[in-house]
Parts: sequence; structure tokens; C-alpha cells
Amino acid sequence: MPHQTVLEYRHYRYLKIALLVIVTSIAAYVFQDAPVGRYGGTPVGYALGIAAAAVVFWLMWFGVRKRQYTGSKTTLQGWLSAHVYLGAALIIITTLHAAFQVGWNIHTLAYLLLLIVIASGFFGVYAYLRFPTMQTNNLGDETLNAVLLRIGDLDKEAQRLVMTLPDKFNQAVQQSVQYTLIGGSVRNQLRLKHPDCPTNKAIPILEDQTNKAELNIEQAQTLHALYSVMLRKQKAVVRARRDIRFRAMMQVWLYVHVPLSFCLLAALIAHIISVFFYW
Amino acid sequence: MKLLLARLNRNKQGQVARTDEILESESIPIGRGSDCKLHLPDPRVALHHAVIQKGAADRISIDATQGVIAIDGRSERASLLKTDLLIKLGPYTIIVLPTPDDVDVAISLELTEPLADRTEATIQAQKIASAGLGSTWLSKRRMSWLLAGVVALIFIIWPIWHVVNTDTHIVGEKKLAKITADASWDPGPLDSGHTSFGRDCIRCHQTPFVQVKNETCESCHKSIGWHFALETAAAKQLHTNVFSTDGSEGRCAACHRDHKGKNALKRQDSPLCTDCHRDLKTRHNEVASPNIGDFKKDHPAFKLSMLVAGKTGKDAVIRVSQSDKNKLVEKSNLKFPHDVHLSENNRDGVRSPGGKRAMECKNCHVPDETGTRFKPVTMKEHCQDCHSLEFEPTATSRQVPHGKVDDVIATINEFYAQAAFMGKTIDQPPSKIWRPGDEPRTGPDKNIAWVNQKAKAITTEMMEKRVCFACHEITRVGVGAAQSWHIAPIAVTRHWLPKSRFPHSQHATFSCKKCHDVEKSQTSADIAIPDLASCQSCHSGNVPEQDKAPGSCESCHGFHTGGTRAGVPVVLPKLKDVAITTRSGVFKHPTSTRPAAK
Repeated sequence: MPHQTVLEYRHYRYLKIALLVIVTSIAAYVFQDAPVGRYGGTPVGYALGIAAAAVVFWLMWFGVRKRQYTGSKTTLQGWLSAHVYLGAALIIITTLHAAFQVGWNIHTLAYLLLLIVIASGFFGVYAYLRFPTMQTNNLGDETLNAVLLRIGDLDKEAQRLVMTLPDKFNQAVQQSVQYTLIGGSVRNQLRLKHPDCPTNKAIPILEDQTNKAELNIEQAQTLHALYSVMLRKQKAVVRARRDIRFRAMMQVWLYVHVPLSFCLLAALIAHIISVFFYW
Repeated sequence: MKLLLARLNRNKQGQVARTDEILESESIPIGRGSDCKLHLPDPRVALHHAVIQKGAADRISIDATQGVIAIDGRSERASLLKTDLLIKLGPYTIIVLPTPDDVDVAISLELTEPLADRTEATIQAQKIASAGLGSTWLSKRRMSWLLAGVVALIFIIWPIWHVVNTDTHIVGEKKLAKITADASWDPGPLDSGHTSFGRDCIRCHQTPFVQVKNETCESCHKSIGWHFALETAAAKQLHTNVFSTDGSEGRCAACHRDHKGKNALKRQDSPLCTDCHRDLKTRHNEVASPNIGDFKKDHPAFKLSMLVAGKTGKDAVIRVSQSDKNKLVEKSNLKFPHDVHLSENNRDGVRSPGGKRAMECKNCHVPDETGTRFKPVTMKEHCQDCHSLEFEPTATSRQVPHGKVDDVIATINEFYAQAAFMGKTIDQPPSKIWRPGDEPRTGPDKNIAWVNQKAKAITTEMMEKRVCFACHEITRVGVGAAQSWHIAPIAVTRHWLPKSRFPHSQHATFSCKKCHDVEKSQTSADIAIPDLASCQSCHSGNVPEQDKAPGSCESCHGFHTGGTRAGVPVVLPKLKDVAITTRSGVFKHPTSTRPAAK
């Protein structure tokens, strides 16, 4: 069976369902008998609101479903496909439920939170569809662990080679060995440019002609070998960082998507309570 | 120079193994460089870190060359080697030992800070890298609880606490709170009429989770009426059918949705009416009203409400369509020719005690306080200046009262009786030969006869020839001593189109005669109320037209015009309020058209 993305699942089954829901919602909104205007409190408005709330609760159930590894006849990919398309459909349903009215209140807050959650979800879909390929292109047949191990080996090799070389080279290599950060903090995982990276800084020092001038032939040969080692290390570091960045990018949207989903859940409950408390 | 070097190696248990060797040279350079006599293969050591050499007076010292050395914890350039001296050189620790006999100096050397195992470090890095963002401070669970908690606290718990805790309410305070705990629940601005409630939500939303009740609306809007009068069971049933989905009378809020803007509470759209009225007959066959969908297209001719003199209650008013020309005759029992009075016809004006007076409409028709219609025209204010009720103008300016016939007769009798009593008969009774049986020619009897005769003549003249007769329809009743007159009750219609509202003030830019054609009217039977075509000449229908004022249903008609809901009179007068109960012979204008709320 050819590989199917979550978007293509079962010949776009959930895209079709979502489109049906959207078209039905728009038709109901447009053709409703609206003697006192269109808003969330008309029969159609209530229906849209109930539908939207039901979809939100169901979407959040995905967090539970994805942890259930057994005992289900449905596939997780099917769930995710439905999660994506019905989530996207919520943009239309809730906008019609709100009848394009916004204000400084809990109702619009819930609406905004929903839009942010959906937008972050869109990024997640993009990340999951796009980044694995880019990761493969980046690492080739290697794994991140292999690259990290290789960096360790290159460090050892560099340290061995630099032993006979003047201190400025040694210092640069030591800095590179000790302070080259791969991954770590949120910022370091997500950023691609590391202008302060000691490995990057070491390369120009090794290239510097004035530094070379003091060396004897044997040292010059060692330096050449060291230079080649450091270049390989630099490439490996860039690849490792890029891989870590892809991994982080595929995770980071969830730190918006999930907490704001729960925030939205609270806001949605507040919205429902407030509307019927002051009916 | 001979140097005893004791290399110390510590195993994992901390046990020290010592390897001695003798270094012999002029000076002993220490460093990472392979040319150094004391070779320290550690990257943290400089290529040529320091040198141990014999100086003047055979003193042996250590001098830093490219590196840094710490002597007893202090950074130094050089130092003499004395026993027990502790020298830190990069990761190495050197201690000067007591010098044995066969060497110049003895030192121990130990790598006290070995380089971390890079493999170990790499594994650590791998752990961090593969843990991804999970290894950082970010936590989905913590952030979820925090954000959801904050939202629940601010938008659920706080507002409910505010509602339950009545101490925090602002009821009774004159100053309106700008913000309250439940402000975030407000879906939109209140209608301007309700802004005085401020943020006191429970004024209307009295019971949690229960829709706003009609009684709550009616606690202020006491005089609001039904759409049509619910006087019969059929009417009540019809009202329920039309306005309710649950068998109740229908909710105010079904039409009046607040929180939709400052001016959105009241529907003013034509579909409000035409949705039902354009095919009312199909929807509710029992209704007498015709189908009306548009003022321009299918609005029927206006129906005038005309007073019927002498009748009370429902019979006091008849409704006559303007298309029914034959019936368009006002029977007000008042003689009033507009043409005689208007200066348009009499350029010099009409005769008056002060000379000729030019008269205009506004001399008699004075706008009421609302600018909608006009104050009643009264005899005293508008007529009596010219139409004096003097009955003996040659002798006195005294007038009869504008009231009951009996009072008029009494006034006249009193006047002449008093004159006779005082001997001031105004003219002599006609002389004729007295015969027995005649009234006496002298004495009291003679005067009584004169008074009776005089008063009767004057009264008859007033009732049948001038003064009263000038304006009123009067018939003689009774004979002899019981003879009197009946003045037909005045029934001047003041509100011709009570089912519409026509604000005259909003039409003040036009002259009266544009709509009211009275210049040539010779009799008060003429009706000068403009017809449908006259209104349509300026007003469009539901569809706007170039250079025409809009003509939606709401332009003229109200919705809540069908009688009281809460037992309080509606704002617009009901027809029976307009129809007055007139007393025989008494000129009386209709009573107030705005009954005070009970």
C-alpha cells in the first residue's frame, strides 16, 4: 500500500465530511429566518454553537485517544485526519456562530483562543508533513547519535593533533571542544545561527596565515590535518543542530497547541456558563 | 641540575602509586610540547608552560614562561622551590618534596583534574539532544493547568462569586460601576435606554439560568401594549399562534434583543410587519385586516376615525375609508366655514373688535407639547374675541356663559329681573289698552311680565338668529313656560388617524395647505385630511426612491398598539378615549388624549 499522509487518509474522507459540515453551516446561517438578526442566540446560532462545542470536546479527546495503544478498531491515523479537518472546519462554524461579532469579552476570548489553537495545529500539520523529509535530507543515512559520536571522535582527534601546536591553536580547539553547544536550551534548539559558536570561531584561527608563519614543517602538517578535522566537525555540528532544530520545530507548536487547548476549554466553559447564567 | 620527579597516580580506590624518575638538564622546561623535559600531555597546559632552573647561589626556582602557575593558591610569575611548596600548573599539582642527597630538588607531580572523558560527555549531549524540548523548562502539562486555571478563575469563579456575593453589587448606588467581575460576560453594548443599569446585570437577569421574564420588562414598561387587543378568546388564541412557540403569550425578548448596540433594541425594519401582513389573509383567515406588503404598492386607502355626536363607547366612533367619498362628511354639529375665516380669501382679514384681523391656520391650530398634533380649539381662547356672547350690547358688555342652555336663560332672566327691580327697565313694555285678565300694568306683576317677555325675546333671538345660532345646531323644544332649546352636542374629531402617528413637527417645512385643502371649504362638513396619494407623493415604499422620504411601516405605525398588557392604558389613545361623552347642550371638547397612568 502506498504511503498515505494524514491529509489523504481514505481518499480524503474527512476532508469531504468537513466540507459537508462547512457547507451545511453556511447554508443554515444564510437561509435562517432571522427576524432579530443573526447571532449566537438564534436557533441556528445555538445549533452551530452546540456543534462547535461538541467538536472541540471531541478534538480534545484526541489527547486521550493517542495514548490508547490497544483496544480500538479505528486507526490513529484516521483519528488524526479527522482531527485536522474537523478542527479546520471549526474556523467556519465558530465564525458563523459568533455571526462575525467581536468584543472585549470572554466570548471573543474563547473564539480567539480557538483560532490560535487551530493556527498552531496548521503549523503542526505542515511540520509533520514537511520536516521528516528535510531531516532525512539533512542526515542522510546517519542518525543524530552517530553524528554526535562522530563529533566526539573528531574532538579527540583534534585534541591529539593540537597537542604539538602553539597555544592559540590549542586554545581555539579547547574552546571548540568544551563550549560547542548542540541542543540544550529552547533557544539553542530552535535557532539555526550560532554566531558565538567556538567551533565556527576556531576555523578562521586555523586559517590565519600569520599564525602559520611561526610553525615548523612538522607542525604545519599537523595544522593542516587539524584544519581538516575541524572542518569536518563544523559540518557535523551544523547537521546535528539542524536535526535538533527540526525535532524542536516538530515539538514546539505543541507547547502552544496543547496548553492553549486547555485554556480554550476553560474559556469555552466560561462562555457557556456566562451565556446561560445571564440567559 | 638533577631533579627527582615522583609521578603520583591515584587509582579508583584512591590509593596512590608512585613512580620516580630523575630528570637531568641545565633547566627543565615544563609544558605540552614534546621538546619539554617535563612533558605534560594535557591540552590545558601551555606548549612551554614554565621552567625549573638553577639561578644565582644555586637557588632553584620555577618561572612561568607561557603559562600561568599558582603558588599556594596565588598566581605568581616565579617562585623559589622550597619544601612543601604547592604549585598548581594547569590540571597538575606539584609539591616540592624534601630534597634527598643525590639530587638538587625533588617534586611530586599528580594530575589532580583529569580531563573529562569525552565519550561520557558525548552520551550526555546525546541524551539532551534526543530529549528535545522536553528537557527544557517547557512543560505542556504545567502550562495547560496554569492557563486553564487563570481563565477559569477570572472568567468563571470571580464573576459567579460576584453574583452570589450581593455585597459587591452596586444596587442603589448612584454612581455606575465602570467594570465589575461579570463585565467579561457582557456580549455587547446595551441599548441606550438601558445604559442606566450600568453593569448591574441582575436588574434584568434576575434568576441564574432562567431567561429574562416578561414581568421584568413590564416592571418598567408598564404601559406597553399588545400588538392587537386581546378582548376575545379568539384574539388571545391568535396572539399565541402568532407570537409564541410554547403556548405562552410570547417573550418580549423574542423581538427585543439587548446587548446588540446602543440603538438596536427596537426593530424598525419593514419585514417586522410585512413578514406577516403581506399575506395575512393566508396565514390567519380570521383576521379582518387586508394583506399589506408595501406602502407604495398595496397599502389600502386610509380609514378615518370620525366621532359620532351624542354616542358613547364604541358607537362614538365610526371608521370610514377615504375611498368611500359619500360617507366622508363630518357631522360635528358645529358651523364653521374655513373660507370665511382664512385671510387667503379675505386679504384684509375678518372683522373683529379691534378692527380687521388677518387670520392664519396657526391662530386656532396650536401645536401640542409633543409637536405631534394640536391643542383643542376652544371657544374661550380662539373664538370668543370676535364671537362675543353679549346679549344686550347696547347696555352692557355682560355675556352669557358658554355652557348649559338653562344657565344662559337664567343669566338673561337674572339680568333683566335685576334691571326691573332697580327700576332700570331698558325699554318700556309695549303699551296697549289694559283689559281685565291682562297682566297688571303697574307694580311687581307688571315688572315680572316685562322681565319674562324681555328675556324670552332675547333668548330666542340668541338661540335662533345670532350668537349661539351662529355656531351651533339648535332646535326649539317644549312649549309655553317649558319652552327651551336643545343644542346639538359638538363632536369635532381631533384624531382622524389614531392607528398611525403623524408628527406635524417633522413636516413643519411645508405649508399647511400643501396637505390640508381648506381655503374653499364653506362648511364644517368638509374633511381636509390628506389621502394616501398625498402621502405617497413624498414617501416611497419599502424600496427607497430618488428624492423621496422613506415610507416603511414603522414610519407611521407602532407595534404595541393593541391595548394594555398590565392593566395600564396604552400610550396611544384607544378610540373610546377619544370619543367623549357629551352632555346635551353643552359645548365640550374631547378630554385628554393621553390618559395618565394609574
